[in-house]
Amino acid sequence: MTLSATLDDLPAAASPLARLGVAVRRNPTITFGVLLLSALVLMTIAAPLFAADPFRQAPINRLRPPSERFWFGTDQFGRDVFSRTVYGARVSLIVGFAVAALASLIGLAIGLVCGYFRRVDGIVMRAMDGIMAIPSILLAIALITLTRPGLGIVIVAILIPEVPRVVRVVRSVVLSVRAQPYVESAIAGGTRNTKLLVRHILPNTLAPLIVQATYVCASAMLIEAGLSFLGAGVPPEIPSWGNIIAQGRTFFQIAPWSILIPGAFLAATVLAVNMLGDGLRDRLDPRLARRL
Amino acid sequence: MNLLQVRDLETHFFTADGVVRAVDGISFDLAAGETLGIVGESGCGKSVTALSILRLIAPETGRIVGGSIAFNGRELTTLSTAAMRELRGNKIAMIFQEPMTSLNPVLTIGTQIAESVVRHLGLSWPAARDRAHEMLELVRIADARRRLAEYPHQLSGGMRQRVMIAIALCCNPQVLIADEPTTALDVTIQAQILDLMLELKEKLGTAIILITHDLGVVAETCERVIVMYAGRMAEQAPVAELFARPLHPYTRGLLRALPRADDEVASAGTRPMLAEIPGIVPALTRPIAGCAFAPRCDYVVERCRATAPALLQADAAHLVACWEAQRVAETAA
Amino acid sequence: MKNGEREETRETNMTAYILRRLLATIPVMVVVTVFVFVLLRLAPGDPAAIIAGEDATAQQIAAVRGKLGLDRPILEQFAVWIAGMLQGDFGTSIFSNLPVSRLIAQRLEPTVSLTLSTLLVAVCLAVPLGVLAAWKARRLVDRLVMAFAVLGFAMPVFLFGYVLIYVFAVKLGWLPVQGYRPIHEGLWPWAESLILPSLALGITYMALIARITRASMLEVLAQDYIRTADSKGLAASRVLLLHALKNAAVPIVTVIGIGVALLISGVVITETVFNIPGLGRLTVDAVLKRDYPIVQGLIIVFAAAKVLVNLVIDISYVFLDPRIRY
Repeated sequence: MTLSATLDDLPAAASPLARLGVAVRRNPTITFGVLLLSALVLMTIAAPLFAADPFRQAPINRLRPPSERFWFGTDQFGRDVFSRTVYGARVSLIVGFAVAALASLIGLAIGLVCGYFRRVDGIVMRAMDGIMAIPSILLAIALITLTRPGLGIVIVAILIPEVPRVVRVVRSVVLSVRAQPYVESAIAGGTRNTKLLVRHILPNTLAPLIVQATYVCASAMLIEAGLSFLGAGVPPEIPSWGNIIAQGRTFFQIAPWSILIPGAFLAATVLAVNMLGDGLRDRLDPRLARRL
Repeated sequence: MNLLQVRDLETHFFTADGVVRAVDGISFDLAAGETLGIVGESGCGKSVTALSILRLIAPETGRIVGGSIAFNGRELTTLSTAAMRELRGNKIAMIFQEPMTSLNPVLTIGTQIAESVVRHLGLSWPAARDRAHEMLELVRIADARRRLAEYPHQLSGGMRQRVMIAIALCCNPQVLIADEPTTALDVTIQAQILDLMLELKEKLGTAIILITHDLGVVAETCERVIVMYAGRMAEQAPVAELFARPLHPYTRGLLRALPRADDEVASAGTRPMLAEIPGIVPALTRPIAGCAFAPRCDYVVERCRATAPALLQADAAHLVACWEAQRVAETAA
Repeated sequence: MKNGEREETRETNMTAYILRRLLATIPVMVVVTVFVFVLLRLAPGDPAAIIAGEDATAQQIAAVRGKLGLDRPILEQFAVWIAGMLQGDFGTSIFSNLPVSRLIAQRLEPTVSLTLSTLLVAVCLAVPLGVLAAWKARRLVDRLVMAFAVLGFAMPVFLFGYVLIYVFAVKLGWLPVQGYRPIHEGLWPWAESLILPSLALGITYMALIARITRASMLEVLAQDYIRTADSKGLAASRVLLLHALKNAAVPIVTVIGIGVALLISGVVITETVFNIPGLGRLTVDAVLKRDYPIVQGLIIVFAAAKVLVNLVIDISYVFLDPRIRY
C-alpha cells in the first residue's frame, strides 16, 4: 500500500534573481509603487544636475508652451516649469515622509500606552475623537494662522490631525493582543509591563503601522499641496507643487501647463504611495485587505 | 420515466493547482417519491453532484464538462439560466448543511419563505405570507405567527433548519436535495429533523436525495443508497441489501470502520481497535487510470490498476464498480 | 413574552440607542471647543502680535488683544465664549467688525448646495459602480472600476478641478468656468454651476465609496445565504439588490459618513478653484488675513456638521441591521 501523494512537486531551489522575478510578479502593486517612488526620489536628488535654476526669472520667456528648450513650458515670470516641478517634488517628499515617520512614532507611543493602560485610555481616546472631528485641512490652517510660516510649521500642522488615525490602528492591535490568554497569564505571572510591550505587543503592531504610514504619507502630501495652493502652506519662495499651481491660476486658461503638470506629478506620487500601501497590506495582512 | 436521470456526469473545478475532477462520471436515477442516499467521505464529490444538478456551481470556479442530467425528460445541462431559475426552488429545491449561515440575517423569516411563493406560484404578498404561516406550522414551529416577523438570529439551529425545510418545500417541489442537513446539529435535534423530513415526504410525495457521510442516517431514512469515492460511484443498492451484502471493498471498509455498540470484548478486557481503511484519498487533480480505490484495496489485482471498472449488475437493483466483486462476495460469505 | 411586549421592548431599545448616541456627541463637541480654545492660547509667540502683523505698533497689538479677549482671565474668557456660542454668537471678525455668525450665514447656501449635490452625485454613481464591479468580479468592468477607484483616490481635488475646467469649460465651452448661481436665480443655472465642482470635489469620495461597496459586496456574495437565495430560483436582481446589498450596507454607509470628512476638507479647495463664495472661501480669506475669530467659528461649525453626520450614520445602522439592538 503506497501513499498516492508524491513528493516530486517541490520546486528546486531558485537563484536570487529568479526569486526576485517571482516576487515582482506576485506583487505588481508594490513593485509599481516602489519603482515610481524611487524614480521620483532619484529625480529630486539629481535635480541640480540636470534641471535649470527654478528661481531664474526671464520675462522674455514668459508663458511659453512646452518645447524642446522648456520641457514643461514657462510660467508668467519666465521660470522653467519643469525645473520648478522637479524642485517642488522635494517639498512634497520631505513633508510626506516626515509626517509619516513622526505620526507613526507618536501614534505608536500613544497607541501602545492607551491600549495597554486602561486608565489613560478613556481620556486620551476622547481627545483623539475630538481632534478627528475637526477636518484636517481646517486644523492645519488654524495652526498655521497662529504662527510664522515655514516648512517645519507645515509639517507639525499636518502631523497633528494625522496622529489620531495611527493611534486608532495601533490601539486596536494592542487591545486584541492584550486579550490573548497568554498575555493575561504573563501579566498574572508578574512579567514586567515593558517586557510584554516590547517583546510581544510591539511586533504585532508593525505591519498595520507600516501600511497606515503609507496612507498618512499620501494624505500629508495632498494636504500640503492643498495648503500651499490656498496660500497657507509653504512660503511662496520655496517651490512646492501647491505653490506652483496657485501661481498658475491667473493665466490658467492660456497656459494650463503650469497647473496640469505639477498636478499630474502630485497625482502620480500619491498614486505610487497608495499602491505601495495597498500592496503591503495585501501582503502583510490579508485580513485587513478584506475590509478594503 | 424517471423523475431524474443522471448519466456520466463530470464536473471539474479550475484551480491554481490544476483541474480538480470533483465528479468523474457518475450515473443514477431517481424515481418519483423515492428517497435516495448518497454517501461518502469528505471530498468524494457528493455535494458537487447535488450542486451540479441545480447548476449552482460558480462559473468562475467550475463547470459541468460532460454528461447529462434529465429532469422529467428535460435536459438540464443545456438549459438557459432563466429556465433554470424557473426550476430552482420550484420543482427542485435544496437545503444546505449550515443552518446558522444559510439564512439571510437582515430579512425576516416570513419574507424569506414568502418570496419563493410569490416568485414561483404568483401569489400576492399577503397570500404568500399566509402560505408561509402554513409552512411554519407544517414544520412544527411553535407560535408561527410571531416567528414570521422575526429574524434568523433569534432562532436556534434546529429551528433554522426547519425554516430551511419550510422554504424548500413551500412550492411543493418534486425533488428535495438535502446536503448534509443534520451534520451541524445536535444528535437529538438530528433525529427530529430527519423524522420531520420523512413525515413531510409522506405528506407531499417529494422525492429526496439525501447526501451524508453518516451511514447511520442512511440506514434510518433512505430506500436506496449510492456510495461515492473520488468522484465516481463505487456501489449502488437498496439500503437493506447494501448493509447485508456490501460488494465493493470500499463499502466494506466503511461498514467495518463503524464503531458498534455490540463489539465483542476480548478476554483481556479491552475493546478491539476501530478498523480503518489504510491510505488516503487520491488527489483529484490528476486523471486516475484504473480504479480510484486500487491503492488502498485488499482485493486489488493488475486489472484494477489498468482499467477503471465497469458497473456490474450484481443483482436486480444492486450495481457495483469492481472487477473483483465476485471474489469479494465469496470471501465475505 | 407576548407579541405586543416584544414589540415594545424593541421600540424602547431603539429609542434608548438613539438617545445614547445623541448624548455621546456632547463630550466630543466639548473636546473640540476646549481644543480650539486652548489652541489660540498655546500657540508659540503672541497671537495678537502675529495677527496684528509685522509692523504693528504696541497700541495696535493691544487693541487686537482686547478684541480677542485675551486680556481677561482664562476661565472668564472660556465661559464668555461658550455662553456666546450657545446663544449663536461666535465672536466678531477682526477686520470687518461683523459678527462671525452673520458672515457664516451669508456664505452658507453655496457650501451646503455644493456639499449636498456632491454627496448625492457621489453616492448615486459610486454605489452602483461598486455593485456592478462585485457582480462581474474579475472581468473587464471590475478591472475598470478598480482602476478608477485607485486613480480617483490619488487625484488631488484641484488637479481634477482644473482638468475638468480646461476640458469642459475652456475647450468645449459646455459649462461655466467658475462661479456660483444661487438657487433663486433659477434651477438650471444653479445646477449648471454645480456640475463641475461636484464632480471635482466628489472624485476622491466616489473612488472610496466604489471601492468599499465592491469589497463589501464581494464579501457578502461569498456567503452561504446568497447560495440559498440562488437555490430558490429568485431573480438575479432581487438576490443582488435585496439579499446582498442590504447586508453589504453597513460598511458602505460607514464609509459614506467617513467620506463626509473628505468632502468638508475638499470644499475649501474646490470653492477656491471654482470661485464659489461659500464657507470654504471664507476660511481661506480669513486665514490669509489671519482673522482668527472667523477661523475659530468655522472650525466649530464644520466639526459640528461632521459630528451630526456621524450621528445620522450611527442611527441608520439600527434600520439596516436587525442584529444591532443596543
